[in-house]
Amino acid sequence: MFFLSLLRVIKFSFQDIGRNIWLSIVTITILVLALFSVNVLIVVDTISKAAVDSIKEKIDVNLYLKNSADETDIMSLKAKIGNLENAKEVRYISKSEALEVFQEKHRNNPEIIDALRELGKNPLTPSLIVKPKDVDRYDSLINELNRIDSDIIELKNFDNHKAVLMKINDISRKINKVGLTVSLVFIFTTILVVYNAIRVAIYTHKKEIIIMKLVGASNWFIRSPFIFSGIIYAFAGILLIVAVFFPLLNLLQPYLETFFIDYRINIVSFFQDNFLRIFLVEFLAASLINILASLIAVGKYSRV
Amino acid sequence: MIKLVNITKIYHPDIKALNGVNLHIKPGEFVSLVGRSGTGKTTIVKTLIGEERVSTGKVIIGGWDITDIRQSEVPVLRRQIGVIFQDFKLLPKKTLFENVAFALQVCGQPSKKISNIVPQVMKIVGLEGKMHRYPQEVSGGEQQRTVIARALVHRPKILLADEPTGNLDSINANEIIDLLLKINKFGTTVLLVTHNREVVNALKRRVITVDNGLVVSDQAVGKYLL
Repeated sequence: MFFLSLLRVIKFSFQDIGRNIWLSIVTITILVLALFSVNVLIVVDTISKAAVDSIKEKIDVNLYLKNSADETDIMSLKAKIGNLENAKEVRYISKSEALEVFQEKHRNNPEIIDALRELGKNPLTPSLIVKPKDVDRYDSLINELNRIDSDIIELKNFDNHKAVLMKINDISRKINKVGLTVSLVFIFTTILVVYNAIRVAIYTHKKEIIIMKLVGASNWFIRSPFIFSGIIYAFAGILLIVAVFFPLLNLLQPYLETFFIDYRINIVSFFQDNFLRIFLVEFLAASLINILASLIAVGKYSRV
Repeated sequence: MIKLVNITKIYHPDIKALNGVNLHIKPGEFVSLVGRSGTGKTTIVKTLIGEERVSTGKVIIGGWDITDIRQSEVPVLRRQIGVIFQDFKLLPKKTLFENVAFALQVCGQPSKKISNIVPQVMKIVGLEGKMHRYPQEVSGGEQQRTVIARALVHRPKILLADEPTGNLDSINANEIIDLLLKINKFGTTVLLVTHNREVVNALKRRVITVDNGLVVSDQAVGKYLL
């Protein structure tokens, strides 16, 4: 009896979707638009976070060491800095390594390369590159480094990142502000969409629900096809948004790579890696909205 | 079969739809309930199908006291009573066959039984050739026949017909009344709510007249009085 009713419910759901094809198309379109805004928001959030993180990743402190510094002393200093509370990572760049990097960086500038050759020796000094644990606590790291007293340190290059840091923090704040505004607009739009979905559900099913009640249908028998239809609409909406969004992301990716040159931003991989998390949550949320809208509509007329 | 004991229905202290109605309809009777618009006829029908609860009194159908019927029991009650409405109340997105079958599907009847019974009932009401049409593709009379088929399909003991001819021309109206008489002959108790004088006078059956929420006349072989 239960399975027979369940089969009938599923049959009625598909029948209802097919016979109210225009309403079904409109419902799915509204869903796709809402999901599109959510995913655009995710894209903007991901890009901004990745950009800020990439910039933060580049922030470090250079300690230039004396040419005469002994390798053992350098390693001991490296270990000491590595133990600092605010230091995430310390990298030692030897004289020869520094030269390699310098040559690689200026390989397209023959004047610099020639000058280096004429000099006949490696003019660069060894250095320690310190990455902060938390960019926001950059100042604390500098204070800790200032407290280190070592003869082998020739120059502490601290200040050249301060301006960048301030700018990043400013950009972060602005992004958060814009994100919050966009989220508020989105929440408002979603409420409107849900409200209208409820109204459409009430308008369309009013007569139907009353008739079902009058011929002796139980609340479960009336509600279930609407619940099932809500899930089908949500599933169709997710399929469509996946079909539309991935080609768009593939189109966007080359522009992102050109615009954020040197930064690791791959929005397509982000969506691929988080496919289940993003689209399953969206599917569940869309189903819930549809089911709620239908249940409110059914509840309103099921007291007949 | 139907027993109303001193029922009242008060919507508002100033609005009393029923004012102490007493009624007893025996099994197999054909009764016309007549009265002007707004006198309480439809309220009586609504109390009989559990759509309205009475303010005081008792409502008993087939021995079942439904005065304080629980919401969850209403579907069970409605599956035992056939109801015909003036505005048909057919599901527009279902064919005539599906509309009739729906009444059985909600009771959980097996598909095989449904596909056997529905065509038989459709034949009784003269719609065997139009089963797969949608309500908007047939005439008002045919829609009302479908409603009768739907009301009959689970073999109810009682058939309530609330102004079944209200939206029909006289030819179609007579056909519907003939159909109701035929159903009554098979033993179904029929309560016909109407204000169609010609129909009531031609029937020569029991007539109960309601006015201002009260039964003002109950004649075994009656006429339309008001």
